[in-house]
Amino acid sequence: MLRKDINELLTQTGPGTPMGDLFRQYWMPAMLAEELPEDDCPPVRVKLLSERMVAFRDSQGRYGLMDEFCAHRGASLWFGRNEGSGLRCPYHGWKYDVTGQCIEVPSEADNSSFCENVKLTAYPLVKIGDVLWTYMGDPAKKPPLPEFEFAHVPAEQTYTSKRWQQCNWLQAFEGGIDSSHVTFLHSGGLKTDPLFKGAKGNEYNQNDTKPFFEVADTEGGLFVGARRNAEDGKYYWRITPWVMPNFTMVPPRGDHPVHGHFWVPIDDENCWAYSFDYHPVRALTDTERQAMVDGYGVHSKNIPGTYRPAANMDNDYLIDREAQKRGETYSGVAGIAMQDASLQESMGPVVDRTKERLVPADSGIIKARQKLRKAALALRDEGVTPPGVDPEHHKVRSAAIVLPQAESFLDACRDAVTVQPGVRQTTV
Amino acid sequence: MAQATRTQTPDAQAHADEARALAAGGLSECARATSAYESRFRIDRPIAPARAARVVALDERAVAVARHVAGRQWAHARFYACEGGDPHDPLLRRLDGVPAPLGQVLSGTDVVVVLATEDSGRAYAEAIGRICRERGITTAGLVLGIDFEAQDAVAALRPYARVLLPSADENDVFELLTALRV
Repeated sequence: MLRKDINELLTQTGPGTPMGDLFRQYWMPAMLAEELPEDDCPPVRVKLLSERMVAFRDSQGRYGLMDEFCAHRGASLWFGRNEGSGLRCPYHGWKYDVTGQCIEVPSEADNSSFCENVKLTAYPLVKIGDVLWTYMGDPAKKPPLPEFEFAHVPAEQTYTSKRWQQCNWLQAFEGGIDSSHVTFLHSGGLKTDPLFKGAKGNEYNQNDTKPFFEVADTEGGLFVGARRNAEDGKYYWRITPWVMPNFTMVPPRGDHPVHGHFWVPIDDENCWAYSFDYHPVRALTDTERQAMVDGYGVHSKNIPGTYRPAANMDNDYLIDREAQKRGETYSGVAGIAMQDASLQESMGPVVDRTKERLVPADSGIIKARQKLRKAALALRDEGVTPPGVDPEHHKVRSAAIVLPQAESFLDACRDAVTVQPGVRQTTV
Repeated sequence: MAQATRTQTPDAQAHADEARALAAGGLSECARATSAYESRFRIDRPIAPARAARVVALDERAVAVARHVAGRQWAHARFYACEGGDPHDPLLRRLDGVPAPLGQVLSGTDVVVVLATEDSGRAYAEAIGRICRERGITTAGLVLGIDFEAQDAVAALRPYARVLLPSADENDVFELLTALRV
C-alpha cells in the first residue's frame, strides 16, 4: 500500500508538480519519426506531461515542438499551414518557426519588429532511431542526448511502435518491472507468439510459477532479478533493468529480438506505451518485422491511422472467453500488450494504492516507488539531478541466464547487463 | 411564481451528466466500469493489516536498524535480535532483551524479514530460512549497507528468501513493512 499523498506525488506529472519537474529533467520520446514523415507534412498534436503542443517538420527538415495555440487569439495550430520554413496559423496568418519564434504577423507594418517579441513555448525535438525525443525542462540544464541501445543500432536492427494506454503512467510502468505476472497472464503467448515462442527459457517460466526475486540498486535505477528453478540444481534468472524514470526492458528469449518500453505520461489519466524490439548484432528478419507490425510480441495492432489499439476498452478488448477455455489465452484477451493494458486500465485511470495488499514478491515495485519519490523530493528540495539523466545510465541490457545456485546474478552478469556494441545479448 | 431550482456543484453536475450518458447506453462494459461515475461505487471499507510479520536482525548493526524501525507504529510486526546459539536452533531475543524461542516467534506468522549487515549471521540466516520454508512462511532478506560485506549471508538466504534486497537501507525496511501492511 501507498499513502494517498505519495500516490498523488508519483502520479501527477503536470507543470509545477514534483514528478512533473522530475520528468522534465530527461529526454523523453515525444512521438515516432513516422508521424512527421516528410518536410512540410501536416502538423501533429502532441500532449505530454499535461502540456498541449503541436509538432511539425519544416521545409528544411527541422523538427519543432511548441505550444499548440496561436499567440494571437488562441486558435489551434494543428490547423496550421506548414510552409516556407514555418507553421502559419490559418486564422490571421501569424507564422512561427521551429523554435516557437513568431516570424510573421501580416497585419503589422512591413518593417514592424512586433513579432520579435512573440514567442511560443517550444521544446527541442530530435530524431534518434525511430523516435523523436524532446526535453521539456530548463534549457540551461539540458542533458546530453539519450544513449539507449535500441535507438542507436542500425535501422535494420530495430523497430518501435506506440500505443495509447488509458491510465496513469505509473500503473503501466509498474507492469514493466513485474516479472511474476508473465507465468500467468502471458502463458498463452509464451507458446504461440512468434516473437516469444520456442525459447528454452519459456520452459523454465512455465515449470516454475513461483519465482524468487532479487532487487539490486543501480546508479540509474534498478535491476530486478527473477529466479526460477532450472535443471541440475541451477537457477534460471531473468533480469529486468529499469532506468529512471520510465524505461524498462524485458529479458530476452532465445534469439528473438530484445524488447522493452518507455512509459510516457500524456496527462495524469493517459500515457503512451512506446514498445521497441531490437537485435544487438543482426538485422530483424522480414518475418519478425511483419510480426511486430501485426501487433505480436510487445506491440499492438492499432486502429489504422491512429495509435489506439484495435482491442480497447470500448469493445471490451475483444475478450474471447472461448479462446480462454481452449487455453489459447489466459485472460481471454489476445496479445501480450493488450493483456497487460486491459488489466492496468481496469484498475481505473489512477489506481488507489491505499487499497493495495502487496506481497514480498512486489519488492521491485516497492523499491521503484521509493526511488522515484526520493528523487522527486531531492530535486525539489535540494536541486539534485536525478538518476537516469546521465546517458551512461542508459547503457543497460536485460538478460536471461542459467547460473549455479550460489552465484549472485549481479556478479555473474555485470557484462551481460551492460551494452557492448556488436556483442550478442545474453539469453536462454 | 417562484421557480424552485437547485444549484449543483460542478462535480455533481459532471456526475449527473455522466450518469445520463451511461444510462443512454452505448458504452462497453469496460468503458462504463472505469468511468469516474462508476468508481464512486467501489466498496470502500477499511483494510485490516494482513500480515503478522517478524523482523529478525542477525548482527549488531542490523539490530540498531531494527530498533529504529520498531519505534514506528506497526499493527502486528514484532522485532527480534538473533543472539547466536545453536545454528540449527538460533536463540532470539525481543529488542527489550526478553528471550524468544524461534519456534514461538514463528508461531502464527506468515512473513519473516531477515536483516543483515555482515556475514557473522550466515548460519543463522540459513537456519531461519530453512525453518520458514518448512513452515510455509514467506521470507524476505534485506542486506543493509554494502552487500559485499554480507555476501555469505546473502548466499545462505538465497535458496529460501522469496525476495532479497542487497544494498538496502533503513528506508527499505520501513517501506517494505509499510507496503506489506504489517
